[in-house]
Amino acid sequence: MASTEIYRYLFLNDNQYALDPESYLIDMTDWSPEVADALAREEGIELTEEHWEVLNVLRDFYARYEMAPAMRPLVKAVGKALGPEKGRSIHLMRLFPGSPAKVAARLAGLPKPTHCL
Amino acid sequence: MLLHVVNRSPANSRVYEQALSAMGPDDVLLLIEDGVQGALPQLVRYYAKIEGRLFALREDLEARGLLGRCAESVQVVDVDGFVTLTEEAERTVSWY
Amino acid sequence: MHEHDDPHRDLLVILRHAPHGSSWLKEGLDAALVAAAFGQSVSLLFMGEGVTALMPGQGPGPLEQKGTAATLAMLEMYDIETLLVDAETLSALGLSADELMLDVTPVPAAAISEALSAHRLVLTF
Repeated sequence: MASTEIYRYLFLNDNQYALDPESYLIDMTDWSPEVADALAREEGIELTEEHWEVLNVLRDFYARYEMAPAMRPLVKAVGKALGPEKGRSIHLMRLFPGSPAKVAARLAGLPKPTHCL
Repeated sequence: MLLHVVNRSPANSRVYEQALSAMGPDDVLLLIEDGVQGALPQLVRYYAKIEGRLFALREDLEARGLLGRCAESVQVVDVDGFVTLTEEAERTVSWY
Repeated sequence: MHEHDDPHRDLLVILRHAPHGSSWLKEGLDAALVAAAFGQSVSLLFMGEGVTALMPGQGPGPLEQKGTAATLAMLEMYDIETLLVDAETLSALGLSADELMLDVTPVPAAAISEALSAHRLVLTF
């Protein structure tokens, strides 16, 4: 879940966006593709078309289920939306190294996935 | 054999019905806390279909002054007996 | 439809509380989702009030509190597909399985104990 504790701000084009201690947006409505790009750069990721299609799957998932998915359901959702070649954890690990479910949720402007520890 | 544990009185909760409907033919049921009221002769009828497989916890009966008032069909066990039942059971399911 | 006969399933979560009235239902679903996220095979059994979690057309509470319907819809994404409903409760509430929001299997009283035995762990919420 997103925490409400403001830990720091992301500064972008004269705007500032409140982030929690794990760098999730505190206010989901702050999200925009530009914010996603900036958050990704902090992570050392340059967002490509392949990243964006996953972020869109995540935003659709949240719109439908009101939660950010853990890794397994993320893999499943990506597979359903983008085909079995992309619905594999290795693909997501390559795009969002470390913890794909958490990193991708963060860049998609979602709260932290509820069911991964 | 599964051990089912009920901690609510049949006098004001229908949780006992859920426990009974989930019980297999070899399962046993232990009444604890407020559940021990179900061991009284006036209330034990709710457990008629599992006669012989109904236990009540001694310590909880004692605390409530009900120890001498249990129906004869109820087997009274102390905490050690509870532990033994738990060990004998494949697993324990709590109904509260 | 007889996955609950398989003695090797990991976890059965019994849901006995209605949405909105308490947090029990939500907590039970959380337990199921966490287990499923870690690759455990999870089944759900709806009993008593818990059956009303499956009513179609649920919404947020009067103060916009989130309900559980979206979480229930999400279960398939976590591969939680064995959804059992106590048939007795169903008829006591005047409901039939086909009007519920998910594809659920009604279980007669005699088969509920088998469902319990078929799982390594049973949690009641």
